[in-house]
Amino acid sequence: MSQSKLFKYGDWGIYVLFIVIVLGLPLVMTDVFWLNRIAKYLVYGMLGIAIALSWGYAGILNLGQGLFFGLGAYMVAMSLKLQSYTSLQQGSENPVPDFMLWNAEPGAPTELCCITSGSWLWLPFQAQGFGMAMAIILPVIVALILSSAIFRLRVSGVYVAIITLALVLLVRLLIIDAQPVTNGFNGLTDLGWLTIGGVEFDPYLVSTYYIVAVSICVVLLATRWLVSTRAGLILQSTRDDPNRSRYLGYDVAAYQVFFFTVSAGIAGFAGMLYVIAAEFASPSFLDISFSISMVVWAAVGGRSSLIGAAIGAILINTIEATASETEMFQEAWKLIIGVIFVLVVLYMPRGLAGLAEDLAGLFGKSRDSGRTRRAQSSAPAE
Amino acid sequence: MSEILFIGLSLSSILLLIALGLSITYGAMGVINMAHGELVMIGAYTAVISGIYLNINLFLALPLAFLVSAAVGLALEKLVIRRLYGRIIDTLLATWGVAIVLQQLIRLEFGLSFFGIHIEGLGPGLQNMNVPSFLTQPFEIGGIPIQPYRSFIILVTVLLTLLTWFLMYRTSMGTQVRAIMRNPQIAAACGIDVKRVSAFTFAYGSGLAGIAGVLLAGFKTVMPDMGASTVVDGFLVVVVGGVGSLLGTVLASALLGQINGIFAILTNDILARAVVFGVVIAIILWRPRGLFAFKSR
Repeated sequence: MSQSKLFKYGDWGIYVLFIVIVLGLPLVMTDVFWLNRIAKYLVYGMLGIAIALSWGYAGILNLGQGLFFGLGAYMVAMSLKLQSYTSLQQGSENPVPDFMLWNAEPGAPTELCCITSGSWLWLPFQAQGFGMAMAIILPVIVALILSSAIFRLRVSGVYVAIITLALVLLVRLLIIDAQPVTNGFNGLTDLGWLTIGGVEFDPYLVSTYYIVAVSICVVLLATRWLVSTRAGLILQSTRDDPNRSRYLGYDVAAYQVFFFTVSAGIAGFAGMLYVIAAEFASPSFLDISFSISMVVWAAVGGRSSLIGAAIGAILINTIEATASETEMFQEAWKLIIGVIFVLVVLYMPRGLAGLAEDLAGLFGKSRDSGRTRRAQSSAPAE
Repeated sequence: MSEILFIGLSLSSILLLIALGLSITYGAMGVINMAHGELVMIGAYTAVISGIYLNINLFLALPLAFLVSAAVGLALEKLVIRRLYGRIIDTLLATWGVAIVLQQLIRLEFGLSFFGIHIEGLGPGLQNMNVPSFLTQPFEIGGIPIQPYRSFIILVTVLLTLLTWFLMYRTSMGTQVRAIMRNPQIAAACGIDVKRVSAFTFAYGSGLAGIAGVLLAGFKTVMPDMGASTVVDGFLVVVVGGVGSLLGTVLASALLGQINGIFAILTNDILARAVVFGVVIAIILWRPRGLFAFKSR
């Protein structure tokens, strides 16, 4: 890697700056309402990182990232639902979610074991730790099975995108259909607060913001480290030319499966944090438009830059929230963002990160690094 | 039994109607046009607005919607898609942006709503298209009840499929399109004006979306985001059928429509759609290039 020193330091400088701003924000922003909003956008930033990892570094476009986000969200929401005060008021000794009562057959016992068909699935979620663990374990298992099938059969390019898209739609329908277990269209609302060691995390507390803020910093640094390891480099070589990597003796599918699964795990983790901050889980997490939006955030921020994708996601959502304060501007903003997406794809395929690199290159007279970077980031079209 | 088959056939024809345009823009040109659903929506609005202002019926709205959607498609090709040939994922992202823009233009009445001007037939609300009464009264032939509007959709779909087949396989323009499909560089070397033919092909595919919109408007409420949900179904049909294969698209829509119809009766609508997605995933895993893909060299 023939990067100039200036660029290398500049790169790390952005990471340090990002972490300082994210962790220092509560000192400046005292409005807890906005702090809670920013926490949600940091979660979106984490989704941007997950997309950049699979799309930018592995060349795998996952149009169903919402599946893993949604699974993570539902897992932890089930636990928090059982801790909600509404679940304790249903006339049973152990908590039972209110919607199950509405869906129960007449005469069914008000117990989690058998109030509706399938309600027994909720039993282990009485322990909050189980829900939190499953929020990462379930997406990882699903991603492992899915990606093993996809990459062992050497499905590639746009077909991966179509399979993941169809799968997220399929699971969304299953969740909606399983009304007695998942509350269908309405999702899980009225959730309790996350409680760790007797401490309750009210979503509008600074400490809850810090759970999210620290998480995104850790995820960002961990993925940055991961792509700089030997495995990360081999992964990038499989992206640029899978056949050549195969001839060199690397098990291409194994690397693709690993990074796809890591990306899914991050999305599941993000789903868990989102539920903690937003206090609901709904099938809309598995909407196509949400999954595509994530990809668009990453594209605007810079598809092959982890921090760029994160900043893109946070920036777009923060501007959107500001714009939607006035109703008229809200609709106009959607129009503007549509135009921005088109312009970014046409004229700035490397996104904000690419723009920043070019500027850094101009200042540092190190145009070489810009050029090598460009060569790296030109992911194969198919 | 025949009733179940008719429901399946009816679902198939709607799938095919949407997929037909996509099989041309995606199959022939390698463009994942996420704005295809919005072209459908524009066709539906053309029917609504021409009904209000020009007082013309469904049959005249069909060619008009074809022209309007084709014109929008042509502009889209010239402004955006032309720069993205060969970058299939980027076409998906850019046209996703275009889809949002088109939806918002209808919702905001082309920005006029900011100035307090309201155009009847546009805006965020729901619209309806009037269907001639002889197409809404069910009648019986030999004891079998016939839904005239559903039958009309099936008829139009068959005619459009035949027309598309004729254009693609029996005209010199169609031969040029198929040559570009196989290999644009060699087609260009043989003297085909690739840019011009591609633009026309895209406009034709978009026009078909407009016709689909008019027919959908007959049994669905017309609203700005009515098209967004249809485009994914259309894609799955095209991919399952095999990119660039008209026969594949027809058979895939028949297959998926029948599966949807049968499972809708056995279980419910939601699970039936889930089964369709499951079948699609299985087929793509088994044969990523679809059931009827041509061998490319």
